Amino acid sequence: MKGIVFNLLEEVVAHNYGEDTWDQVLAATGLNGAYTSLGSYPDEDMRELVAVAAQIVGRTPFEVLRWFGTQAIPLLFDRYPGFFTPQSSTRPFLLSVNNIIHPEVRKVYPEAQVPTFEFTEDQAGGLLMGYRSPRRLCALAQGFTEGAAAHYDETVVFEHRECMHRGDERCLCHISFSSDRSR
Amino acid sequence: MLQPSVDSSLEENKKLKRRWERERTARLEAESIAERGLRQLYEKKEQLRLLGAIAVAANESATIEELLHLTLVKISETSEWQLGHAYLVKLIHKQRRLISTQIWSDIDREWMIAFRRATEAMESASDTGLPGRVLSTGKTAWIADLSTEQNCAKAESVRLKGIKASFAFPVFAGGEVAAVLEFVSERFTVPDEFFLQLMAEIGTQIGRLIERKRTEEQLIHDASHDPLTKLPNRALFMDRLTRALVRNKRFPDASFAVLFIDLDRFKVVNDTLGHNAGDALLIQVAARISASLRQEEMLARCGTELDSQRETLARLGGDEFTVLLDEPHDPSQVVRVADRIQKGLAQPFCIAGNEVSVCASVGIATSATGYDSPAEVIHDADLAMYRAKSLGGSCFVIYDESIHALGVNRLQVETNLHRALQNGEFVLHYQPIVELRTGEIVGFEALIRWRRPDSELIYPDQFMKVAEETGLINLIGAWVLREACTVAHQWQQEFPRERPLTMSVNLSGRQFSQHDLVQQVCQVISDTCVAPGTVGLEITESVTMDDTDRTAGILSELAALGISFSIDDFGTGFSSLSYLHRFPIRVLKIDRSFVARIEADGEGLAIVRTIVNLARDLGMEVVAEGIETEGQAMHLQALRCKFGQGYLYSRPLDETSAHLLLQTQSANVPPRRKRRCPKQSVPTGMPSRNTPQVTGRALPYFDSLVVTCPMKSQPV
Repeated sequence: MKGIVFNLLEEVVAHNYGEDTWDQVLAATGLNGAYTSLGSYPDEDMRELVAVAAQIVGRTPFEVLRWFGTQAIPLLFDRYPGFFTPQSSTRPFLLSVNNIIHPEVRKVYPEAQVPTFEFTEDQAGGLLMGYRSPRRLCALAQGFTEGAAAHYDETVVFEHRECMHRGDERCLCHISFSSDRSR
Repeated sequence: MLQPSVDSSLEENKKLKRRWERERTARLEAESIAERGLRQLYEKKEQLRLLGAIAVAANESATIEELLHLTLVKISETSEWQLGHAYLVKLIHKQRRLISTQIWSDIDREWMIAFRRATEAMESASDTGLPGRVLSTGKTAWIADLSTEQNCAKAESVRLKGIKASFAFPVFAGGEVAAVLEFVSERFTVPDEFFLQLMAEIGTQIGRLIERKRTEEQLIHDASHDPLTKLPNRALFMDRLTRALVRNKRFPDASFAVLFIDLDRFKVVNDTLGHNAGDALLIQVAARISASLRQEEMLARCGTELDSQRETLARLGGDEFTVLLDEPHDPSQVVRVADRIQKGLAQPFCIAGNEVSVCASVGIATSATGYDSPAEVIHDADLAMYRAKSLGGSCFVIYDESIHALGVNRLQVETNLHRALQNGEFVLHYQPIVELRTGEIVGFEALIRWRRPDSELIYPDQFMKVAEETGLINLIGAWVLREACTVAHQWQQEFPRERPLTMSVNLSGRQFSQHDLVQQVCQVISDTCVAPGTVGLEITESVTMDDTDRTAGILSELAALGISFSIDDFGTGFSSLSYLHRFPIRVLKIDRSFVARIEADGEGLAIVRTIVNLARDLGMEVVAEGIETEGQAMHLQALRCKFGQGYLYSRPLDETSAHLLLQTQSANVPPRRKRRCPKQSVPTGMPSRNTPQVTGRALPYFDSLVVTCPMKSQPV
């Protein structure tokens, strides 16, 4: 996993719970915590960090990931405003992940293993998002989506219709946009 | 103690935190720099890949347009420049202008559509715009922020509405700007050094393709054009004629005409002033004909709308030019064009300081005849051209029914005869004339043969009639006289005798009627240095019958030079004994038909005897023609006929064989024969004494040298 994700997690935890909490998380996992966005680190490290953080804050890993995603969006906007400004709302922003954001990531980090989402639109204006990845980070996806919605001053309803955590072959998430200005 | 320690540790803590913040900020900054660097690296890799792709495409592209499109698309894909467009340099009214190729990179935004519309609406790129600047300076140029641009013309600023930055670079071919590629962006953009270098290399690749295509076009042009006059060559002309023919088949109103132009006297210029002068003349002739056609076209178009050029002028080779008039405005135009061309060529030319006059014979074939193939059209125009030549040249003849009535075969022979004369296909064979008593060669009769390019030997009975009718006989006859006299002089020099070898040449009625015959003969005698007393001209009785006063005058003038005359085929025409008296005739030639009958019946013998006696009484010599048997020879000798010729002694021989015969005979002359034979008066054109001996059966060696056996030798 790219170092940027670890950096963002550290920032979010430290910002909300203090630097000591992050030290505590690191100490509990036994990881040294030296991450740079230029590097890539084992997926397992992320899993452990989330698990420990969940214990410390008294939440489930799913909730931590979702919360982390939501919190990370403003930090991402600070670093990469170019991914946000061309889009006017959450929906086109989500649709640009496959075609713009991830290709751009791969231009800088050709080794990055970015997921591909399968988007289908439903008649009511919602999006169905298919996701397959051994990382099974559908909670992070939900957090990013909700963070983006907050960025565009929107709310979304994110529903896990199928989930790999429940033994499904893939995750299938339905997203409905409560105030979709793009439509 | 505790307080200061707490304070200092708090202070230490803050210091460490500040250091940690600095480190963190530095790390983030370093990561950001590194990411930008990685992003640029990616772009450069992509751009290098782009250059590679364009280099490959430049080698593989079928067209320049394909390569331009690929380049525009790739550059806009891999750079900040969102929209690209290509201009090609074209010469318009002698000015180099940038013309839109209408080739663009992908267009997917409103402002791109507007920009394209405005750009394509321009006749050519404005001089004040960026592409115009690139054309005039030959240098890459860009404007990073168009809002600061002051010198923009109004039209240009309208075109660039909504665009923030523009960039253009030149493509060079053959040392000149051949194309300009323009890129625009709705973002402020500055091309970096790497990008500029990349564009320069892409420009080089495109330039190479343009040069290669130009070379290809040049090769195609060269293959279809005459390098000397730059006119279309035969291949291209035939192609255009084929198209005209196809059109005419489909739309009978789409008529056409072909003018076949051949210069009269071109060969003289080539022979006297040299090939360079000949080439210079051809170039000027091509220019004159072109000018005549342009003049005609301008007049014909007067008041009508301009359309594409309706004629093709081509050089088929040598001094032959052809004009294809496609859909002439009216039937008289064809004649007018021919007339204009001839008038144009009639003015003297100045070639290397010499004033040279040539004129042209023009043959015309029109679609009205109804042709199936271009070769037929050219063939008929060619025939008509030779008809024009036969009519004296400097005129035109249209191939029509009247020409057709002359007979295709006859026209073909006429055309071929012209060619034969040009190409030196005529040869002379020489039949020895011998003294019957001794068998000695006393002279030769020159007989014309036509050695065709396929090496077939044609006898005069197959072409002399046409030559006579068309007047070509005058040209052919002149050649025969000159050639025979040249050879006679050579042999006389090589085989000197007390009575030099004679040479007899036949003269036709038409030749005889030439007003400058005497001058022609004098000229040949003078040019070839042959002794006039050794030259004999053979005429037929019919020649002497027309305008006897004139005949008498000419014969006397030539006889005064020493030239002698024979009456050929004596006794077969409408003989009038009175002319024998009036004219300076020195020899009668007994026709072969009488000789053939000499053994068979008394009548034949009586005729020959009468002729021999008549000649003797009038002081003339007699030569018997067509002696084939010993019996005939004995009879003739018995009748005191002194000289003869025929297969018994030798068939007509080519120059080499005749020369060999003279050599052999010269070596075999027994010295005593010289003493034994007293000198006697021998008329010119007659055998002289002291010459090598020939006997019919003594010549098997020479018989075997002569491959062909003429059935009948027709005199020229």
